[in-house]
Amino acid sequence: MDKEATITKLKIIIKPFINNEEAFENLTETTDFITDLNINSANLVDIILDIEEVFAIDIDNQSMEKMLTIKAALEIIETKLSEK
Amino acid sequence: MIGNDIVDLALALKECNWKRKGFLDKIFTKKEQLCIIKSDNPENMVWNLWSRKEAAYKIFNRITGVRIYNPIQFECFDIDKSIGKVMNNGVLYYTKTEINLDYIHTVSVLNRTDFVSIKLLNRNIEIFKTEGIPYLKEANNEEINLISISNHGRFEKIVSLF
Repeated sequence: MDKEATITKLKIIIKPFINNEEAFENLTETTDFITDLNINSANLVDIILDIEEVFAIDIDNQSMEKMLTIKAALEIIETKLSEK
Repeated sequence: MIGNDIVDLALALKECNWKRKGFLDKIFTKKEQLCIIKSDNPENMVWNLWSRKEAAYKIFNRITGVRIYNPIQFECFDIDKSIGKVMNNGVLYYTKTEINLDYIHTVSVLNRTDFVSIKLLNRNIEIFKTEGIPYLKEANNEEINLISISNHGRFEKIVSLF
């Protein structure tokens, strides 16, 4: 799966939880879930669970620790998909 | 050093489905999950434990400058006592939690004796930030004037040590 397709899927997942529309419209790899998109930190769990479902991967605690930016999410998804 | 976290219970109910499969496993230890299941009010217990973890994490983040998403590594103890504990990686944080019908608010400190020095501030103070960490405007002494701001939904709490 190419990066653009992954980002498109990721955007669909995170949209219901964002609290900053402008940051979402201008989303880049460096966009931070909490400081830029103002996502509630408890809702980060929802995003992680949704990523697991949509990409059919398992995100372990060690990977979850890094899940703060789009870039980190893309890296984790890519790594987990390559391990399948 | 001080941290705090508030949960607006009405908003939490609206924006977060903690009953979702896998949710509790991601952020709570087995012991904490047992505590939630056994509770008369599981919903409140979820946010009670969550606010303790978040308040302790805020101190961790300030001391280390590290941002990390590992709530399960911040384990709550003594939740039935007036002063609770959160343990992370061998570091102990002390917590005091206020629960009412509208919100759950936890203040965390590193030194248990600091609880007597906690002041609740209101919004009309002047705040400045250095590297994301808020301070009182008229700061003469960095440590004394360090503040912690928490907001969620209808509520905001600003605390400091004096």
